[in-house]
Amino acid sequence: MRFLKLYLIFVISSCSIHCFSQSADSVRIEKKSLNLSLSYIGSLIYPGASLGVELPVNTIYISKIRKSGKTEDFTKDRFVTVSLSGYHHPAFHDNIYISAGWTMRQTKSHGFMTEFSPEIGLSRTFLGGTTYKVDDNGNVTIKKAAGYYYALVSVGGGIGYDFSKTKQKPFLIFSKFNLIMMFPYNSTIYLRPVMEVGLIYKPMNFLSLIVKSKNRTK
Amino acid sequence: MKLIIPFAFLFFVLTSCQKEKITIGTNVSETFYLDNNGASMRLLVEGNTSSHTFLLFVHGGPGSSSYFYNTDYISQNVENKYAVVYWDQRNAGGSQGNSNGDQLNLPQMTEDLKKVIQLIKYRYGQNSNIFILGHSFGGLLTASFMTTGDYQSMVKGWILADGSHNYPLNDTLTRQMLLTVGQQQIALNKNVSGWKTIVDYCNSHTGNFTFEESLQLTAYAEDAETFFDKVKEINLATLIDYDPVQYGWPVTSILFNLSYSSNASFNRDLAITKFSSKLGVVTTPTLLLYGKYDFVCPGGLEEDVFNRINTLDKKIAVSHISGHNIMLQDESFFCKEVNAFIESHR
Repeated sequence: MRFLKLYLIFVISSCSIHCFSQSADSVRIEKKSLNLSLSYIGSLIYPGASLGVELPVNTIYISKIRKSGKTEDFTKDRFVTVSLSGYHHPAFHDNIYISAGWTMRQTKSHGFMTEFSPEIGLSRTFLGGTTYKVDDNGNVTIKKAAGYYYALVSVGGGIGYDFSKTKQKPFLIFSKFNLIMMFPYNSTIYLRPVMEVGLIYKPMNFLSLIVKSKNRTK
Repeated sequence: MKLIIPFAFLFFVLTSCQKEKITIGTNVSETFYLDNNGASMRLLVEGNTSSHTFLLFVHGGPGSSSYFYNTDYISQNVENKYAVVYWDQRNAGGSQGNSNGDQLNLPQMTEDLKKVIQLIKYRYGQNSNIFILGHSFGGLLTASFMTTGDYQSMVKGWILADGSHNYPLNDTLTRQMLLTVGQQQIALNKNVSGWKTIVDYCNSHTGNFTFEESLQLTAYAEDAETFFDKVKEINLATLIDYDPVQYGWPVTSILFNLSYSSNASFNRDLAITKFSSKLGVVTTPTLLLYGKYDFVCPGGLEEDVFNRINTLDKKIAVSHISGHNIMLQDESFFCKEVNAFIESHR
């Protein structure tokens, strides 16, 4: 019990320090457009595709002064993402899944970016072959659109290059590794590593949202 | 309306792989699924379906997969004559489902096997000649099938390959073999430290084995065959050699299904399951194959089946260079015996 109290004090004070440190930042409101993403996804040799929307939530512009005196500028963006994805694994299954996630992206002033995104979603598989049912009398029928619904959790991380930072082009390219987990799969889980290569289009003014942004100097 | 068209197109694309395709030919490869009581079980039929003769692999485990039997050698030496059916049992290999662990038990799997055979006959003709081959745990499952009602009338022959039909007897025979061979090997000064551990264990565990003792005996039995150079080792590297990516194996599904099924609670029921006393009802021609170095399912099991089944049309054949995986460790012997048996009974 005493340990729990100490732990709570530690967590609350850590958060407070973090919050108060932000209060010194300059906060402003800006309009940001939705981003659209299109990517090829594949696990090993099995092809797939993903189509998504990124809804901006906030942006932090950070200037970090290094010991050498040099200033390093980078941006931290947070998005809520919604995507529709699918892959084709012949003779096993086709899988269509919709997912929503929280993307944390950090972009340096010269355009190099990294991101991490946990997602949750719903998957529907379609078995990779004609599926039959045989009743107790031996009568055989074909089951249409045979497959299963699964809950889905995904985590992914990747790198990319944002052309809007240096070349004023409204898109970025990225490559990402995702691990998707579906359950309950035969009373256990199903894991699938997925590589993603794609493009995110950042239109200037497409269904713009009002988001918080702030500058921070470290 | 505008939205309906793309969704209809998507639905058509996704379900197009499920369109029924039945091929009668000499070099067929077709995957389809049997949906039964919470599981969609994968069936791959390869080879010569025009022979109207089907060799159905009933894999081990529980929770292993039929993918492992689909070797180039079997393709070139069995599939060229007959069709081979690679069936992934429920909660195994590429079989799929939701929360279906409650249905993972031997009676349910016996019903699954019956429906698999009914489905093959539905697809390829009621005159299809079907031979079932049980390996390891598949021996228990096929023994259950052969001794249930008149199910044996659905098949032309029963093949046991390193199979077990009686788990308590299996444990006794494994212990005996480990002890006898272990003492001989120690006397010959071969793998002394490895054998000593095994022999000591067998000397201190003499019978009425608990489930944990049974697992330990199996683990020692798997180790034991690797002590003999003439026995081809089957391990993860061997399976990777199969090039699972090229052949589209759902690798993570195979691994998670294996992990779940091999640890499922029904294994405790299996540990006390025996069919010896029921084998008298079997009148179907039977081929019994085993490896001389199989400590997991020793040859005494095949001899028990041989002595109890009620048919004169039966044969025991021993491979002198194989352990627990005769179809992988002595491929030419396995294919020769299986082909000869099928040819004379189809």
